[in-house]
Parts: sequence; structure tokens; C-alpha cells
Amino acid sequence: MEALNIVQSKAQKYSIIGNLISDARNPQILLQFSFLIYGILFLSWEVNIFYYLIIIGSSLLFQAIFTYFTDKNFLSLKSGFITALSLSLILKSTSFWVLILAAFLSILSKYIFRFRKKHFFNPSNFGIIVTLLLTGKAWVSPGQWGTDMILAVLIIIGGLNILLKVGRLDAALTFLLTYSTLLFFRIVVYYGWEADVFFHSISNGTLLLFTFFMITDPKSSPDNSTARIIWAFFIALLSFILTSWFYVFSAPLWALFILSPFTVLLDSLFKSKRYEWITK
Amino acid sequence: MKILRKIKLFSFFAMVMQINVMYSFCGFYVAKADASLFNKTSQVIFVRDGNRSVVTMSSDYEGDLSEFAMVVPVPELIKEQNIRIADQLIFQKLDAYSGARLVEYFDNSPCRQYIRPSYAKSVAEMNEIEDFVEYEEEYSVSVEAKYQIGEYDILILSAKESDGLQRWLTDNGYKIPEKAKEVLEPYIKNNMKFFVVKVNLEEQKKIGATTLRPIQMAFNSDKFMLPIRLGMANAKEEQDMIVYLFTKQGRVETTNYRTVNMPTDVNIPEFVQKDFGDFYKDMFEKQWKKEGKNIVFLEYAWDVSLKNYVKCDPCAGTPPSYTDLRESGVYWVTSPNDQDNVMFTRLHVRYDRKHFPQDLFFKQTPNKQNFQARYVLQHAYKGELSCDAAQEYYKKVLNRREKELTTLAALTGWDISDYEFYLDEIRKKIKESGNGWIEEDNFKNGLETIFIPGSRNNNKGNGVKWVTFIFLLIMMLVILHKSSMLLMKRES
Repeated sequence: MEALNIVQSKAQKYSIIGNLISDARNPQILLQFSFLIYGILFLSWEVNIFYYLIIIGSSLLFQAIFTYFTDKNFLSLKSGFITALSLSLILKSTSFWVLILAAFLSILSKYIFRFRKKHFFNPSNFGIIVTLLLTGKAWVSPGQWGTDMILAVLIIIGGLNILLKVGRLDAALTFLLTYSTLLFFRIVVYYGWEADVFFHSISNGTLLLFTFFMITDPKSSPDNSTARIIWAFFIALLSFILTSWFYVFSAPLWALFILSPFTVLLDSLFKSKRYEWITK
Repeated sequence: MKILRKIKLFSFFAMVMQINVMYSFCGFYVAKADASLFNKTSQVIFVRDGNRSVVTMSSDYEGDLSEFAMVVPVPELIKEQNIRIADQLIFQKLDAYSGARLVEYFDNSPCRQYIRPSYAKSVAEMNEIEDFVEYEEEYSVSVEAKYQIGEYDILILSAKESDGLQRWLTDNGYKIPEKAKEVLEPYIKNNMKFFVVKVNLEEQKKIGATTLRPIQMAFNSDKFMLPIRLGMANAKEEQDMIVYLFTKQGRVETTNYRTVNMPTDVNIPEFVQKDFGDFYKDMFEKQWKKEGKNIVFLEYAWDVSLKNYVKCDPCAGTPPSYTDLRESGVYWVTSPNDQDNVMFTRLHVRYDRKHFPQDLFFKQTPNKQNFQARYVLQHAYKGELSCDAAQEYYKKVLNRREKELTTLAALTGWDISDYEFYLDEIRKKIKESGNGWIEEDNFKNGLETIFIPGSRNNNKGNGVKWVTFIFLLIMMLVILHKSSMLLMKRES
């Protein structure tokens, strides 16, 4: 084990790949960035590159400012960049002020909603939901990914890689299994639709992106594995209720937002080691 | 049980009325005869604000009226006062107003200045509930209401199970395809009612109507959707549906399918003018295939509030007036000076069972940006040119036309080698204006390499995308690597 660590640390110093995997944020940035480019180039998104630059620029700026006045650890710019990419992938608006606000709220949430030195909202999730509520000028396009399985598989595999490194696979799988089982019973068993109606409703890019990049955020999810499983189960349950009876299309985003504060409670009940981005 | 063969059912669209649960209906027509109505386009006007919906369905049925029937799932028992007959003209108006448009511009003489106006042409131009419940135990079907509105006999049914409903329909002279059963089941479970329409021939004679007029219904439903599945029950081919949506805040998009903008604002060759209808049809087909056949196209979006002055630019048809909005069912507009917002969205979907397993669910967004499918013709100067600038000008035109042809091939898949004349015309002029002196490399040679027939051209387009994709990824990789190294060095 120790030998492996030495090899790893050497590899980290000398190779691009080693350097990249030493920090789970790197592959995450690469993946999210590639989804963004994929959407723009291949999914015919209505694009204004300027808006993406605004989101990325303002997120990095706010992150830099907050970092400067707090711990001065500028590696957190990467987290800021991830937040910016998540916002770019999910939130739409035709007003750049709204986008700047979303970036600001996302970064701000990391420094305001803290308990025992840990923020409990996923920053971009917080930014998205609060912007939707406050401005009424932003929206989420759940249909923008289409349902082509290739993309779905890409996201799953990509997400898995990151998760294996981060160790949040339990939350992702619990969420996905619970949510799809409930949907399966409703759509196929209860209503009697064909199986492809069910697959169509879960092979949705936004859902998978949410599963592998948001609910699994190692910083804001509960530290303990059991706690995470309980937490993810309730997010799935709430998402299912919101989707099926209230016709909320981006239900998982709302469910995560509503249940995020429970991370604090779960962390007090189930103690475990805090996650660090860089293994030292 | 009788087995009815030779059933031709064509299903077009679905209509819906909603008032609280918004369900749309995906209706299907049922005919006894072999009416071949595939390839027709159904049109639906969908007005929605909050839970309130008003849906108007246009039928382009041309067969024997005695054999016409339509079944549409609806979210609630629609009252008689919420059903009316709408004017067919409204569909033509909305279609003309929101269809793809061709815009023409004319080059001025490079030797002299004068201006001609530009104008636009549209594709369209070219081309009660009393306590009336009759429960039929044998079928477990309730006839919840019976109305006679205009030339139509309308029944609203509710059922407990699909077998019974199907038998009831069959025994009452409505032939519906075997496959419809599996789709009826989920709708029944969802507490939907069935809106069943037949033509009352006597009434129709009295009224003197020769075609079937659209039916409009208002209802409440919390679901913003159109039930297209029923319509696909026995359709083998794809069907087209155009949905005209009126909302208050902004554009509408589909939530369970990708909404894609139609390619727009491109310059196309001058000769397309004669075949603009074909051009648009072929482009639609090609783009639909390219996007994977499971998408919904946005063809038009505009703020048509009465207070908004510019309702199109250029206009392909008259923008909807106060009367038109009322006729469409935009109930919140109550006077010609109404200040309320009205956003108009036109979606075009070509669907079949394989690519559209789910009904269409919509969502209103706050996006008020206008959108139109607009194609530009730039006419070269036709007169005689004798100044020095002529040669330069013609070279520019040749260049421009080469690009137009490439665009044409990429959009429609047309074989552009059929259109050499379009370039030859200009090449000739270059020769003439250049006193017989020709720059070899500038044209003839160029043509063979630039011109790539449709399909190859398309691949080339994707190749460029992949190269860009990979390039950007590598760039990001390098940036991440460098910045990580830098930041880590600082850390330590």
C-alpha cells in the first residue's frame, strides 16, 4: 500500500495523468467541459458564447475574492470553475445580470451556509434554485440533452470514474436505483406503459448529470456512507413525488435543495472523516 | 367478438383542453374506409396560462364524412359551454404568419448607386353537463355527457378498463385499431376522459359547412402536454404536427424531447425562389434525420402582445390581430388595447412510435427572444456593367454563389452538381468584363474542390465539429495540467 502511494506520488510529479488524477476536480472539469462543448457542437443548443464566458468569468472572480478574504487557498478556483460549468450546463437565461447573480449566489452559499467548517448546499444547485425563485428570468431546459443513449453512457462512465476516486458512488447509485425503481413501478407496472416509455423518462441527460455531478459533491454531501445512502434515498423519493404528482420537471434539483440542510443533522448523527480534494 | 379488418386509422394530432390537469389529447381519427390520410399535417392551437388551457384542433379529413370519427383523451369532463367551433381560417392565418420566410435583397450596381426594396414571401403563400350519466355495465363505460355542437355529435366517456372501452367503441360503430388498447389503458388509469366526436350529417347540411370545422375546448389541467401516443396506435409512417402555442411569459419548449431551432438566417441560391416550398420540405427532412428523429423543431417565436409594435421582421403574413387572438382562444386578451403579454411559439414535430415513446410535455420559459426561420436571397445585379469595378464585383458574386450552393447542399442534401449553370452564368460575365483575361485559379479549378455533394458535405461538417471538440479538450487538459503544477508549487 505504501509502495503504491510512493509510486503514485512520483507519478503525480512527473506525468500529466498523475497530476490530473491527484485532484478529483481535474477529471471533473474535463468531463463537464466536454459535455458543454458537446452540447454546443452536437446538440444544437441555442448558444451565446458570451453568456458562458460571463458565467465562468464571474464565478472565478467571486471565488477569487472570497478565497482572498478567507483561507487564501487558490486551488479552490477549480471548485469555482466546476460551479461555473454546472451552471453553464443547467441554467439558462437571456439576461447576463441573472447569470452573474447565479454565479454570485453559488459561490456565496459556500461561505454562508456552513456548519462545522463545511458547507451543506451544493453551490451550483443553490445558485440555480435561488436564481429561479428570485428572478423569474432564468430557466432549466430538462429536454436539452435529448435521450440518446450514447451521451447517457458517456456521462455514466465519466461520472463513475470521478466517483471511484471520490468515493461517493453510494449516493449516486442509491439515488438512481431508488428513483428509477419508483418510476418503473409507476410508469410500467401501474399505468401499463411499455418499457421504452420508462427508459425514455430516465435516460435523460439532465438527470444523469445531476446524479453524477451534483448529488455526489464530496464537499456538501454527508461524510458517512450510511448517512449518504439515507440522504440520497430521500432525495430520490422527494424527486419522484415532485415529478409524479406536482409535474415539476427539474424535480431532483428541487429535492436536493430542500434536503441539503439535513446534511448537518446526518453529519452529527453519523460521524466520519471529512473529504479532502487532494490526498496528501 | 367481431374482428374488424381493413381498419385504417389515421391519427393526427391530439387535442386537449384543460382546466386543471392539463392533459392533452392525442386524438386519433377513426375511419371505416381506407382513407389514406397519412402524410398530412395536423395543426393544434394551444393556449395556456397557469392551469387553464384552450386547445383547438384542426382536422384536414377529406374522406366520407359519415365515416369520420375522432377520439381524444381529455383531462376532465368538459362542459358544453367550454366547447365551441372555431374558424378554420385562423389556422391558415397563423401558418402564413409564422411559416418559414424567404427574404430577397438586390445588389446595387457596383458602377452606380440605386436602391430597390426588399420584400418577403412566406412558404404558405407558395405552397352541459346535467346529471347525465349513462353507465353501461356490460362495458364498464360511462357516457358522462352528450353534446351536439355545430355539426358534431360529441360524447364524453369515462372507462374503468381498456377492454370495455374498446368493445364499447367497436360495438357503437367506431372502429379502432387493436393496438390502441394498450395505449388506452394508461390514459384510463390517469383518470382521463375520452372525447369522442362524430359528424351529424343532418346538422351539417343545415349549417351548409362543406369541410370539418375545428373544435375548440377549454379545460383545466396541471399538465401541459399533448397526448400523441393514441394517434400512433396503428400509424406506420411518421406524422407531422404543428403546434401554435400562446403563453404569457415566454417561449415554450418540450421537456422530454430536445427542442431544436430550425437553421435560419442563411444565404441560399437565387434559383431556390421558385422551389422554396420544396427547399423547406427537404431541409426539414434532412435536419430531422441529422438530429436523430427524436426532436421538436422551433420554427417561430415572437412577442405578439397587442402593445408590441413589431410583430415580425419581415412579415410573411399578417400578424394575429385582437380578433385572431380571441379566435385562437387567448382568453386573457380582452380588448384591442389590452396590455397583457402574449408570446407565440410555433413548434413542428415529426413523430412516430419508435422515436416518440412518450407524449409531448411542454414547459413555458421566460425566454422572450424572437426567432424565425428566415432564408435570404441576394440577387446579383442584372444590368449591363461597363466600369472597372465590374470584374471585381463578379468575382465576389461567384465566390458568394459558391458558398450559397455549399450551404444549400448542407441544408437539404440536394446534389449541387445540377446547378453548375448558377456559377457558369457569372463565370461568363467575368470573362466578358475582363476583356478575355481570365484568372484561372479563381474559379473553374476552385469549383471542383469546393463542391462536395450533399452527404459528403455533411460528414465534413461533423468532422470539423469533432476536430474542434478534441482540440478544445486537449487545450483544457493542458490548462489544467499547467495550472495544477503552478498552484501546487505555490502551495508547497
